Amino acid sequence: MTCSRCVSGVVTLMFLVHLWNYIRGYVIIVAKGSVERFINICTRRQILLWDISRKDSDSVVMKASRRGFMMMRQAARKSGCRVHIIKKCGLPFFLHRFRKRRGFKAGLFFFAALIILFTSMIWEIEVSGCSRDVEEQIFKVLEETGVGKGRFKMGLDPKRIAADILLNVDEVAWAGVQIKGVKMTISVQEIRPRPDVVDEDEYCNLVAERDGLITKIEVLAGTLKVNEGDTVTKGQLLVSGILESQTPEFGTKYVHARGRITARTWYETKLPLMYEYTKRIRTGRTHENKYIRILGLKIGLLGNRKAFEMYDSISYDKKVTGPFNWEFPIGLTVEKLYEVQEKRVKLSDEEAEALALEKARLQLGSELSPDCRVLEEKVDILRNETGDAWLQLTLECEEDIAGVEPLGGD
Amino acid sequence: MKRRKKESDRKDGTERGLLSMGEKLARMFELPPDLFGNRPKVTAVGRGEVLIENFKGIIDFNENMVRINTNNGIIRITGSGITIREITSEAIIIGGKISNIDYDA
Repeated sequence: MTCSRCVSGVVTLMFLVHLWNYIRGYVIIVAKGSVERFINICTRRQILLWDISRKDSDSVVMKASRRGFMMMRQAARKSGCRVHIIKKCGLPFFLHRFRKRRGFKAGLFFFAALIILFTSMIWEIEVSGCSRDVEEQIFKVLEETGVGKGRFKMGLDPKRIAADILLNVDEVAWAGVQIKGVKMTISVQEIRPRPDVVDEDEYCNLVAERDGLITKIEVLAGTLKVNEGDTVTKGQLLVSGILESQTPEFGTKYVHARGRITARTWYETKLPLMYEYTKRIRTGRTHENKYIRILGLKIGLLGNRKAFEMYDSISYDKKVTGPFNWEFPIGLTVEKLYEVQEKRVKLSDEEAEALALEKARLQLGSELSPDCRVLEEKVDILRNETGDAWLQLTLECEEDIAGVEPLGGD
Repeated sequence: MKRRKKESDRKDGTERGLLSMGEKLARMFELPPDLFGNRPKVTAVGRGEVLIENFKGIIDFNENMVRINTNNGIIRITGSGITIREITSEAIIIGGKISNIDYDA
């Protein structure tokens, strides 16, 4: 039962021994008579005794296991000792007390069942090694295959999930799924986009993608069809992929036309000027709605209501984080409502113009191509006879307008 | 008193002369002496615990003293508050505040 080879071993094992004894159950007994003989006989019969101490001149107190006590009878008779129990200790005796309390037992089983039930579920899914939108796609795939928080681990094959992700998400080169306890970890390796390879055998022309005034020409392959300073319209041929030989006997050669044609381009937008403007002003009155989140379920608390006719709402989640960064699937969502009032505000000329300009800039900003450089910005105010006014914003830019157009047919 | 002395004298004599075969071998090959024979091994750590292996039985036991029979005679351990922490057929652990470990006592 214990490591009797060394004392220190025994000492370190002491706690375990105590625990074991407690689980198995033991008795504290008093032996009266020739106790030395009694102890020797017990020892020889492999009955474990411990914590033996002298009580008075003819009796000792000792502890023995339940089984040991059963086997003690003969030893007691042989040595002429009288043995009786003064206390029963340990789990079996403790539980014995509750043998008639059914509810207690049921509760115990219920508790155990609950623990088993909840530890056989997935409570958290973590995806690592990929960008946000790939993560979203992965979660979508998981949802489709029925894997999610609260799903039972039984029947879940990590390899299968990994294969599903690989098959359904194109950006993923490799996926590994690991289930550790109640947490599922998905490690993903994203495919790096291949660099654009120019296929030299794919013959094409370069055409203008926008109207513009050509300012700079760099041709790498093909026949130039325009000159610096030319005005081109959208779709006009800039560099041809057909190379005509100077001596017609050699015939024509087709190439993949390449080059940068930098041109000045103009972007324009017109917006009516508004002298009236509805402004939302917070009145300062607020109301908080609270929801408890359990496993994706949202349960509203008492006192939740739509407090105001018009409001802005801001909601944030409070999470419960346990040890080891373990996030519990419960939390609180607080939704704060701010009452607002709409107010029509009169704007002065300058204010109206500034507002329109800002809008126009925003609108054009989404139209500009990413490599476009804005050179000049021009703002005009136009008015007609009826008094309506517009703001016209013109942006003068410089950009590469060459676009690829496949050379159709031979 | 006289008789006891005589007895112990004789025991000393036998001890010197008769080493068991295993013990002789152990000494020859410089093996740890506790590998052969059933001589007692007494281990004391600090002064609160004594472990005796290869013992035959306890002879006397009270809170100031415990006497243990072994193949090399009786070992007496004295002290105060002596208890037997654990006892199995191979080993006995004695606890308490120990002041003496005597042989042939």
